[in-house]
Amino acid sequence: MNKDELLRSMNEAIVAGNKAAAAALGAEAVRSGADLLEVIEKGYVPGLQKVGELWEQGEYFLPELISSAEAMKAAMAVLKPELDRKNIEAQRGGKVVIGTVEGDIHDIGKNLVASMLQAGGFEVYDLGADVKLERFIEKAEAVGAGIICLSALLTTTMTNQKRLIGLLREKGLRDKYKVLVGGAPASHKWADEIGADGYAENAVAAVKLVRTMSGGD
Amino acid sequence: MTLPLLDLVRIRTVLLDGAMGTELMARGLPQGTAPEAWNVERPGLVKEIHGEYFAAGADVVSTNSFGGNALKLAGHGLGGRTYELNLAAARLAREIAPAGRYVAGSMGPTGKFLKPQGEFTEEDFAAAYAEQARGLADGGADVLLVETQYDLREALAAVRGVRSVSSLPVFVTMTFNAFPRGYFTLMGDTVVKSAAELEKEGVGAVGANCTLNSEQMVGCVRALRASTDLPIIAQANAGQPVIGQDGRVGYSQGLEDYVRFVPEIVRAGAGLVGGCCGTNPAFIRAMARIIKKERS
Repeated sequence: MNKDELLRSMNEAIVAGNKAAAAALGAEAVRSGADLLEVIEKGYVPGLQKVGELWEQGEYFLPELISSAEAMKAAMAVLKPELDRKNIEAQRGGKVVIGTVEGDIHDIGKNLVASMLQAGGFEVYDLGADVKLERFIEKAEAVGAGIICLSALLTTTMTNQKRLIGLLREKGLRDKYKVLVGGAPASHKWADEIGADGYAENAVAAVKLVRTMSGGD
Repeated sequence: MTLPLLDLVRIRTVLLDGAMGTELMARGLPQGTAPEAWNVERPGLVKEIHGEYFAAGADVVSTNSFGGNALKLAGHGLGGRTYELNLAAARLAREIAPAGRYVAGSMGPTGKFLKPQGEFTEEDFAAAYAEQARGLADGGADVLLVETQYDLREALAAVRGVRSVSSLPVFVTMTFNAFPRGYFTLMGDTVVKSAAELEKEGVGAVGANCTLNSEQMVGCVRALRASTDLPIIAQANAGQPVIGQDGRVGYSQGLEDYVRFVPEIVRAGAGLVGGCCGTNPAFIRAMARIIKKERS
């Protein structure tokens, strides 16, 4: 398989959500001594972008999105040890702490965002659901994350997104972190009102937002 | 003797109730507390809400058991009390129901995913719903309402679980999003496929609830009508949650705007009509007047 074929197949494996193919193509790239950063950037990543577009157009739904994210992670699992061995720094998106705020046990949307961020190359610390507000800050401090993502499904628990920002201020840490909010009741207006750094309506938009916030493209 | 609900639907439009969770919160339900716990801890307040919906004109109220399946309750550490909390939920509604009115046992989604997206099997889901259905049936529900389903596979597993323990009629509402190409659930299930597979599973009524506002619901009911001969349920949201000037959460569609589309929802083919998020007894009272007018 020549390089163009390899890159195209990688793209297709992600779009099809084919985990086995995505991993096998990664192994093929390692074996043939291909430029691994190039296969990530020109093979897999465009596939993931295509999936995001198909989702935004209403062609793909949650199962397809998850399958593609899983395929991307499978490919990276093959490439990562090889990159480490060669001491090559893959372009990382930075560290993100994410969770559903306390009082709220809904985690479907949060899990999807976490999965897509991971697939997108971010180092994701997923604290789960019903997370005490202090824990977001403790974790972010401990791992040196730059971004905190807060999910809430209920109109009653979304106020905890606001409370976390207050808590950061009290601790004198507000400027240290970008705080992003999401969930069914949240909105751009809500994010503005509570002084959050951003809002994303869905998982695909969330990845774009986190990328912008972490100083990427 | 009260006419079975499915017979009443053949005669006239049936009025369901509106939101429960926000009514509980208005009465002090603390953040993070499972609403179902109040069936035992604050039974009087739960009954009061049912009573207000009946007084507003609802033919049917839904029990305070939306998150009462065994998997969802387990998230609150209450999985072992599934039967008890659902039994209490149905009893409360039954006790306050006037003669000739009905109790629907509310059964919301597990909030979990089936394999391969999640960890669970259809058997796991069926068992979680079966335990809930047992409590609701024993507590005196007239029908079981599997509602707000975003995954057709879960809805079908729920119906099978309910069937394994009860012979009560099962109604199912799916939650659809409006796209330029039509209405789809979160998992991508279409209206046509949902209606066909649920009908094959032997449900008594199918429908749509949540997410869509009352204007969008009109089109969704039309799509349902074109897909099935079963009675159709429609319970729209009052638009989207918005933050008011006072910092409190409200909904974008006011009462007047919401009920404006009720006649169209009925004419589009809905036989059971009620509210969802953002609605309250005042919405149901207004809908009762409209439906009565539509009838005559």
